[in-house]
Amino acid sequence: MSYRRLRNIVLKEWQVIFTDVNSALIVTLLPLLIVGQGVLYIWLAYRFGGEDLMGSGLVQNALQNLTVAILSVAELGSEDQLRVLLLSQFSFFLLLVPTMVAMNFATFSIVEEKLSGSLEPLLATPVRTGELLLGKALSGATLALIATWICAGVFVGATVALGWGSLLHVVLSPAWFISLFLITPAIVVLSFLLGVIGSSRARDAKSAQNGAVLVVLPVFALIAVQVTGVVWFGPLGATGLALGIAALDVILLRMAVRLFRRESIVVNWH
Amino acid sequence: MPIIEAHNLSKKFGDRLAVDDLTLEVDEGEVLGFLGPNGAGKTTTIRLLSGIIAPTSGSATVAGLRPDREPERLHEVIGLLTESAGFYDRLTARRNLEYFAGFYAGIDAGLQVEKYLRLTGLWDRQKDKVGRYSKGMKQRLALARALLHEPEVLFLDEPTAGLDPEAAQELRLMIKRLSSEGRTIFLSTHNLAEAESLCYRIAVIRTQLLALDTPTNLRQRMFRRRVVVQLEAIPPSLPDAVSKLSFVNGISQEGNKLQVDLVDPDRNRPELVKCIVEAGGRVLEVSEEQHSLEEIYLSLVKEDK
Repeated sequence: MSYRRLRNIVLKEWQVIFTDVNSALIVTLLPLLIVGQGVLYIWLAYRFGGEDLMGSGLVQNALQNLTVAILSVAELGSEDQLRVLLLSQFSFFLLLVPTMVAMNFATFSIVEEKLSGSLEPLLATPVRTGELLLGKALSGATLALIATWICAGVFVGATVALGWGSLLHVVLSPAWFISLFLITPAIVVLSFLLGVIGSSRARDAKSAQNGAVLVVLPVFALIAVQVTGVVWFGPLGATGLALGIAALDVILLRMAVRLFRRESIVVNWH
Repeated sequence: MPIIEAHNLSKKFGDRLAVDDLTLEVDEGEVLGFLGPNGAGKTTTIRLLSGIIAPTSGSATVAGLRPDREPERLHEVIGLLTESAGFYDRLTARRNLEYFAGFYAGIDAGLQVEKYLRLTGLWDRQKDKVGRYSKGMKQRLALARALLHEPEVLFLDEPTAGLDPEAAQELRLMIKRLSSEGRTIFLSTHNLAEAESLCYRIAVIRTQLLALDTPTNLRQRMFRRRVVVQLEAIPPSLPDAVSKLSFVNGISQEGNKLQVDLVDPDRNRPELVKCIVEAGGRVLEVSEEQHSLEEIYLSLVKEDK
């Protein structure tokens, strides 16, 4: 594995991404839209459904789990408890950012090579398949992580702007940071690999993305199980989840390397 | 000394046999023309020899390396010009070359990029995005890319396909220059005149190798050598007199031109001319019938059908 080659790939990928308006918007605007939408939903749910929500069995159940996971929640008033519950969903909602960015990046990057015919001359250089995939993954992962962390900052800023800043010490729990720094990278790799697998099977970027976009479903499932009070991911649960996704990453990496065979790409991708 | 060797090389895609039992050798410094109809296996052969794909059976060595076993090492010493130029359209020509040069060890990427941008006449357009380049310019840039690491062996897959005559001519001149530098060139082409002007030997493939030799030897092997005698006029008794000669296998007439099949054209020609003159013929010109590479190629491909 050559650092020089990896750096070469990463720099080129970034250059190609940021010279295409659509892909540049996916990396920059899409994350902000996702965050804006998330914050808006939380505020709308609280503003217009607060009382109804408090009476709901599901929410009561979730609040019960929440007070077990974060002891300091019990000391808050019922309105603040609801706010914390809603804001706490955001850590999983935020996972949509790395999911979408990494997956879009992977499909764009590989399908672009395929359509431009640049893959064959590239494979005629001494670059190894592993280096090529890793270089692409690093370039996409870095952007996805940066975008996610910026979005986390935007979320914190938005919480303060909503006048709920005093709740941040409860919301930004260890599980929140585990989600941001362990689950997010694992999700980035997962999404990127699914993007590679989707691209290696598809004939164009759209169909690749259509297939790979299914990766958002587990993220929605995570939000659903937590918001309905079925499971509350405390630090242990979040770490377990990160490890589970990492294990899935290993399996998918093997699949991606197998599908990303030089021969099948060069011969079938025309 | 052979620098490219293929032994019983075969490649199957599913049930389809793309290359069948190909055995050939290309000497160091040689320019080999690789001809064949569409789908004959030319590109597949180039991909096999350049380590892009692996053979189903058989083996090959290029510059002493096995393409299927050590492709990365092989790619340090070979250059490949693919059928489609394959560049990143939104990047400049210079940036494209810098990117590809970045994969080779032991070269000064900046210097090499400048050298080949100048050599291919693209120096003044180095800052243009490749998307704005014409097809001819892209092909020249692709040739520059294939040369960045100074490869010993060059595989060129239809380098002039789709180019206008001027651009094709420019590219041919570049290939000639590269050949004069002693590089081995494996040139796949549909253009028979191009093959004849650039290549020492010609290989014709249609899944299997149909022929491999110099154009002259192929001509001699495939067509009888016929002597053509241009006369002022053909006297009525002349054809009869000529056909009675013992070394004449056959004779045909076309206007004032006499085409004669001889047993040994080099030895029998003076006797033939003597006979014609004695029969009252006034000889304007004596030559040998020339068969174009196109005739050889078409004949080979037809024979195989």
